[in-house]
Amino acid sequence: MLQVRKNRLWKIFTIFLVSSGGVFLILFSLNSTLDLFYTPSEMLEADIKPEYRIKLGGMVKNGSIKRKGTATNFLVTDFVKEVPVTFNGVTPDLFKEDSGVVMLGYYLDGIFKAEEIFAKHDENYMPPELSFEEEKI
Amino acid sequence: MIGEIAHFLSLSAAVLLILILIFNVFFSFNKIHSNQLTLSLRLFNQACFLVFVSFGMYIYLAISDDFSIVYIASHSNSQLPVFYKVTSIWSAHEGSMFLWIVFLTGWSILFLNSLNKNHPLKRLTLLMLSLIILGFMLFLLITSNPFERILPFGVIEGADINPILQDPALAIHPPMLYLGYVGFVIAFSYITAYLFNGDFELQWEQDIKNWSFVAWIFLTIGITLGSWWAYYELGWGGYWFWDPVENVALMPWLASTAFMHSLFASSKSNVLKAWTMFLGILIFSLSLFGAFIVRSGIIDSVHSFANDPERGLYLLGFSGFISLLAMGIFAYRIPSLNSSKLVVIGSKESFLSMNNILMITSIFSIFLGVTYPLIIESISGDKVSIGPPYYNTIFAPIILIASIFIMISVDAAWQRSMSLRNISLTAAIPSVFSLIITYVVWYATGIFSILAYIGIFSGLLILTSYFVRVINNLFNNRFINKGSAIAHIGLGLLFFVVSMNSILSYEKNLNISLDQTVAVDESVTAFSFDDIKVIKASNHDIISAEVSIRQDGKNVLLNPQKRKYITRGQITSESAIQATILKDTYLTIGDQLENGSWTFSLKINYFIKWIWISSALMVLGMLITIFKQKTS
Repeated sequence: MLQVRKNRLWKIFTIFLVSSGGVFLILFSLNSTLDLFYTPSEMLEADIKPEYRIKLGGMVKNGSIKRKGTATNFLVTDFVKEVPVTFNGVTPDLFKEDSGVVMLGYYLDGIFKAEEIFAKHDENYMPPELSFEEEKI
Repeated sequence: MIGEIAHFLSLSAAVLLILILIFNVFFSFNKIHSNQLTLSLRLFNQACFLVFVSFGMYIYLAISDDFSIVYIASHSNSQLPVFYKVTSIWSAHEGSMFLWIVFLTGWSILFLNSLNKNHPLKRLTLLMLSLIILGFMLFLLITSNPFERILPFGVIEGADINPILQDPALAIHPPMLYLGYVGFVIAFSYITAYLFNGDFELQWEQDIKNWSFVAWIFLTIGITLGSWWAYYELGWGGYWFWDPVENVALMPWLASTAFMHSLFASSKSNVLKAWTMFLGILIFSLSLFGAFIVRSGIIDSVHSFANDPERGLYLLGFSGFISLLAMGIFAYRIPSLNSSKLVVIGSKESFLSMNNILMITSIFSIFLGVTYPLIIESISGDKVSIGPPYYNTIFAPIILIASIFIMISVDAAWQRSMSLRNISLTAAIPSVFSLIITYVVWYATGIFSILAYIGIFSGLLILTSYFVRVINNLFNNRFINKGSAIAHIGLGLLFFVVSMNSILSYEKNLNISLDQTVAVDESVTAFSFDDIKVIKASNHDIISAEVSIRQDGKNVLLNPQKRKYITRGQITSESAIQATILKDTYLTIGDQLENGSWTFSLKINYFIKWIWISSALMVLGMLITIFKQKTS
C-alpha cells in the first residue's frame, strides 16, 4: 500500500475513533438522561432513590382517578401491585380509567410524582410490557 | 372486482421488474445487444405505469367506500369528506407503503427518461432502481397487502380515520416526507451504478445534483409540516420531541445536507469525490433504516405502526442487503476513487469538510440515541429511554463549532487558503456582537441555561456574519451567494429562536369555575371563564369553552375545544392558539372536576412562528440555488 494512502487511512481511522469515542463518553456521562422503565411491581421491589427519574407504566385503576384543583391523583396497577400517583396539570386526552399509561417522574415517600404523562394516540394502546403481563394473567 | 384488477396490476408490475432483472443479468454474460437497453426501459416504463394505474384504482376504491377491502374498512368511513377519504390511504402502514412505492417509481421513471439515450450508466441505474422497487413491491404484496378482502362479505361502514389525522397539514405531511426520503434513491442508484461501471473519468455530479436538491426541499417541508402539526394538534405545545421517528427523519436530512455541501466542494474544486459518493449512498440507506424502525414496531413511539416481526425481518433483510451492496461496491472501488487533489487548509472547502464531519457526528449520535435502548435491552433486559436532555447536550457543542466554521467560511474562498489575519477579521464583528446580545438576553431574562445560551450565541454568529456580508454586498459591491446566504440565515435563525423558545416559554395550570376570573401573572392579568357548551357536529360532539383573557393590556378571546368522535369514541383536544409575532398564547381545556369547575393549561410559547419562517428560508435558499444554476 502506498505510504500516502496508508496515512490517509490512519487519518480517517483516527477521526472516526475520536468522534465515536467522544460520543460514547458523552453517552456514559449522561447516565442521568437515561430513564429506566418499571412496572409497579418492579418499582416496588427495586430500591428507587428519590432523585432518580424513572418511567413507570401500567394501567389506571378503575375508579381511582380523583381530581382536586389542578392536581390529579390515581392508582396505577399491573394487576399485581399498585402505586399511588400524583400529577399536576392537564392530563392527555387518552388518559382514562382502565387504560394504559406511561409516566415520567420520581418515586418518593410511597407516591409517584409524575412530571409527564404519555398516553399513546391510539385508543387500544397498552404499554408493550403490560400486554405481555396481562397475557400471563 | 376493481380491487382484484388493481391487485393484479401491481402483481404484474412486480413480474415485469423480475423480468427486467433476469433478462439483463442473463444477457450480460454475452455481448450487450444494442436494443437491450431500449427494451428494458420500455418494460420499466410499463411496470411503473401499472403501479400508477393500480394506485389510481385504489384511490377510486377509497373514494367509492369499498369497505370489503380490509384496509379501507379499517381506515376510512363513508361520512368522511372526499379529501380525507383519499388521505386515509396513507394514514396507516399498508397504504402508506403503497404511496412510498408510487413515489419511488415516479422519481425513477422521471430520472431515467431524463437521461441521455446513450448514457453509459443508464442500464445499470435502471437495474438498481428495478431491484429496489421490486424489493418494496414484494414487501407490500407479501407482508402488507392493501388489497386484502374481507370474505365473504364486506362491512357496511368503515372504522374511520384516526381523528387527529383529519387535518390538512397531516394529510400532506406524509407525501412530502416520502417524496423527500424516496427522492434520494436517485443519487443512491446512480452512484452505485457509477461504481459498478468503473469508468471514473465520467462526470457524475451534474446528473444527480438537482434531483437531490429537490428531494432535500421535500424532506425539509415534510419534516416542518410534521412539526407544525404536532404543535397545534397534539396539545402538548411542543414542536419537536426527539421521538425515535422524528430522529430517523432527521438523520437523512442531516446526511443530505452534508451531501449537497460536499457536492458543491466536489464540483467547484474537484475534491472530496469519494466522500460525496459515500454520503450519496448513506442518505438513502438511512431512509431505509428509518422505514425499518417505523414499520417494524421495534421501537415504541407515537408514530410507529403496529408491531409485526415478519415485516421487521423482511425490511431489515432487504434494507441491509441494498445498503451493504452499495457500501460494499464503494469500499471495493475506493482505492481508484481518490481524487488527486487534497483539500487546502483554510479554504472554503476545508471548513465545509469540517462541518461535514460534524454532521456525520450528529447522525452517529442520533443513531446511537435511537438504537441504545435496544442494545441495552438485549444485553441487560433493562428498559431505558433516551430523552431530550441527551440530544440537547450533544447538539449544543456541535452547533457551536459548526456555527464558527460557517461564520469563517462566509468570507473564505474556494481552493485558496485564508490567512489567520483574515479569519480574525471575519470573526471579530460577529463574535463581539453575538457575545453582547447573548449577555443582554441573559441580563433581561435572568434565566440561565448554558445549552440555550450556546444555541443563542451560535445562531447570532451565523446571522451577524451574513448580515455583515449583505452590508458589504450592498455598499462595497462584494459578491454574495444569495441562495446560500438565505438558507444559512434560516439556519442561524432556527438556532436562535429554538433556544429563545426554550428559555422563555412557560406553562400555567388553572382550575377555574364558570364565570370566575383569576389573575395569572404580570403578562396575563385576567383570565375569565365565560361559557361552556356542547355542540353537535357531523361526526363528533364538541365541548367548546369560551375564555377571555387580558394579556399585555389587550383582550383576547380563546375557544379551546374537546371533541368526542362518535365512530371511534376517541377524544381529542383542539387547543386555542392566539399567535402574535413574538409569542403564542396556547390554551388547552382539561377535565371537569366533581364540583363543576374545569382545568385549563395555559402555555405561553415564544418565537414559534419564527421556527416555521426559518425552515421556509432554508427551502427558499435551496430554490434560488437550483434556479440560479439552471439560468447560468
